[in-house]
Amino acid sequence: MREFTIVKHSRARLESAKKVSGEAVYTDDMTLPGMVFASVVRSPYAWAQVTGIDLSAAQKVPGYVGALLPSEVPDKLYNCSGNPPSALLMRDERILTLEPKCAGDRILCVAAETKRACLEAAAAVAVKYEVKKPFFSIRQAVDGGEEPLQPHLSDSNILWTRQVKEGDAEEGFRESDFVLEDSFHVPPMQHTALEPTVCICDYRDGFMTIWSNSQTVFQERRILSELTGLPETHIRIIKPTVGGGFGARQQLHSQPVAALLSMKLKRPVKIVNTREEELYASVVRHEGEANIKIGARKDGRIVSFYAKYFLNTGPYTTHGPTVLAAGARKFQYSIPNYFFDGYCVLSNTATAGAFRGYGNTQLAFAREVMIDRVAQKTGLDPFELRLMNHVRVGGHFPGAESSVTSCQIEQCAEICRREAARIDDEEGCAENDDIRQAWGVAFGCHGSGPSSKEGLSSAVIMANDDGSVQLLVGSADIGQGSETMLCQIAAEQLRIPLESIRITAADTAITPYDMGTFGSSQTYVCGNAVSKACQALVENLRAALGSVCKAEAAYDGTLFHAGGQTFSFGEAVRKVMFSPNGAVVIGSASYKAQDSPNPFIICMAKAEYHRKLNAVRLLHIIECVDIGTPINPLTVKGQMEGGIAQGVGYTMTEQIEINYTAQKPGSSDLLHYKVPLMADLPRLHVFIAESYEPSGPCGAKSVGELTTVPVSPAIVNAVRRASGQEITKLPLCGQFLVLPNEEQEGM
Amino acid sequence: MLYTVRINLNNEWRVFDGVEDRETLLDLLRDKAGIRSCKRGCDSGECGACTVLLNGAVVNSCCYLALQADGKAVATLEGLKGDDGGLHPIQQAFIDEGAVQCGFCIPGMILAAKALLDGNPAPSSSQIRAAMSGNICRCTGYAKIEKAVESAAEAIRKKSGNH
Repeated sequence: MREFTIVKHSRARLESAKKVSGEAVYTDDMTLPGMVFASVVRSPYAWAQVTGIDLSAAQKVPGYVGALLPSEVPDKLYNCSGNPPSALLMRDERILTLEPKCAGDRILCVAAETKRACLEAAAAVAVKYEVKKPFFSIRQAVDGGEEPLQPHLSDSNILWTRQVKEGDAEEGFRESDFVLEDSFHVPPMQHTALEPTVCICDYRDGFMTIWSNSQTVFQERRILSELTGLPETHIRIIKPTVGGGFGARQQLHSQPVAALLSMKLKRPVKIVNTREEELYASVVRHEGEANIKIGARKDGRIVSFYAKYFLNTGPYTTHGPTVLAAGARKFQYSIPNYFFDGYCVLSNTATAGAFRGYGNTQLAFAREVMIDRVAQKTGLDPFELRLMNHVRVGGHFPGAESSVTSCQIEQCAEICRREAARIDDEEGCAENDDIRQAWGVAFGCHGSGPSSKEGLSSAVIMANDDGSVQLLVGSADIGQGSETMLCQIAAEQLRIPLESIRITAADTAITPYDMGTFGSSQTYVCGNAVSKACQALVENLRAALGSVCKAEAAYDGTLFHAGGQTFSFGEAVRKVMFSPNGAVVIGSASYKAQDSPNPFIICMAKAEYHRKLNAVRLLHIIECVDIGTPINPLTVKGQMEGGIAQGVGYTMTEQIEINYTAQKPGSSDLLHYKVPLMADLPRLHVFIAESYEPSGPCGAKSVGELTTVPVSPAIVNAVRRASGQEITKLPLCGQFLVLPNEEQEGM
Repeated sequence: MLYTVRINLNNEWRVFDGVEDRETLLDLLRDKAGIRSCKRGCDSGECGACTVLLNGAVVNSCCYLALQADGKAVATLEGLKGDDGGLHPIQQAFIDEGAVQCGFCIPGMILAAKALLDGNPAPSSSQIRAAMSGNICRCTGYAKIEKAVESAAEAIRKKSGNH
């Protein structure tokens, strides 16, 4: 294996300096001449029929500019998901609707000269509703008593199902020494990326330019082309600096409305979400119910696994079926009998969409808690039990055809156990009348790029005469550090300094197509495209040098040789550009994923249970990942720590709650939707195993979503062992008092 | 009714006419004073993205009226510099420790760190956590932010030790 000089080295991110000085430009920092501020008027009811819209009071507000009504938008159904076209992305959403099916559904849009006037005008719009009785739960969707929400797609509120089988699960249960069964529930959660959803749409002279905090500029261009009738060449979507995504930006939100309003008013239109709109009128993680049955032998061999798995997608399809399908492909144990019995259901709850983990998180929680019970029943160590059943290189996941090409799970286990032992050596593991401390373990995995293998990306590299290069990629950096990572790959391959690479990304007019920032694809899919583009660039340069020198040119991996002369990369480019028979030096490539190699992870949590208070305190969380080659270990560890924090949040305190008196979501601000603060986190210990994935760029696999997946079962397994109570529902604040991480000074 | 407000913004006295009574300091800074680093994350004092230093103390500018800032010193990230005119040690530490991901919380985090270190040059881990828990970060899990504050504190102590 080659020694890396830039890849696998920690480097400060290229754009950090701008962010720490306040110079980084986010979409809401931008103003265009003539720009109007617009606001979406949304349904306060979870299910209703609009019977009248009266704009007269709004029109009298000084500064009022105009409005867009449901009657003025194309009568088209669409799917907002930023995914490549698929039969699973069923169309049922309207740009503006007269039949809102969730609280926050878009009715109309008003625009004004100032933000203040816009808020006043929006408040002055009078909408009359005929209220219908909504339903929110999976139970109600499945039991069939409610009117179907999307009758053109399903005559019930079960929208879509997916079954994946291997062997015969029932037979397997009969062959087992014991069978355990239970039902688990995960409520919806919200991404709470710190930057609210925002877009500016500017239509002029037949061309539409959009700035938005998007994860998927090319998918959005395609969908907006269908909705507006403008060809893709007449739509330009530019992604400025983005303040986090986690899947929240893998859907179109206000862009169709703002685009059409800009076409009507012939002025740029800016729409920014309030935090309340973010929480329940954008997208949430699918509420999940997993009914698990697991059969095993006394020696710990898992013989059969059955999961009846429900995901609540809200009233619209969005990503529902794709999330369900993805959840089926993340079972990393090599067992003979497997039955994934999945259902995607509709209800009037907040619309669900893509969120870090994408169907894996909810099911992994249920599965890893059940496996822990198997460990306790057999008396086996929880690591040993899982390792005994774990998939190996050359093997496959149940119900999947692809072989596992790299797996360092044993190394991850060793690293985690060593760290846990070190922590216990230092502080002990207490058990007395007041408290009991315990460790919990969970294993996880994900994919590198979508497990449906839709990953498609490309890169263009232009060489400059001073030996620097310009790298163009469609890949959207949403804060995870993809731009720096891709430059590191390019610098490593071209053997030029990182500082001599200038990257431009995610502008549909300039950068080549990338499927989008989702499915943990940027390293594996776009990274492979960049790697191939580098090879193409070097080959083009070599061939051009040969033409110019009128002799066969060779490349030894660092230097070029032709006609008895030796050239560095920069010297070769200058020679080629400024000599007779010369050329411009460009390399480009596209990469279509053939595989989605699985990264693996082990998470351990140490929790402390206070008997008299029935309270829980988290003390430590350890994670070790097998992600092949970490392109930038510093960035990877940042992803691990961030993923853990989101896992802590959704295990301990986060939930989008339905207020049954108001008949709509009640989690409408950050006081009620409680995300972890610095004081809420335990000590984090993150490690990267030594590993290499042959099909990955420089041997890399993904890390972005992986790190959130095992956190909730690790914490729950710790708490169930410390408290002696079974836990089947999240968040834990419903069952325990949650204590802050440390005694605070002066408190 | 409209008012005139005088604030000392990043060491420069600025006068703003036509200020409404209900205008927040965040509105004034972003819409009239050309300040972009203060972000609007929640408009209700929960997230800290709008943090400014008001006479040196941490304040959520979305919950502070522009009128209340009259005659006071307001510091935002745009005004933060090192002694040599380059990056402040806190800014450099955030870069070096990998504490910056999407960056949206960073202006607030850096100002909160500055207020902490100005008053307490050698804070304990608990003190850092208490001081920084008015700022939400969704990307980093806070670990590298905490480390950046520690290493900035050390860098600042070393520098002043050299006088």
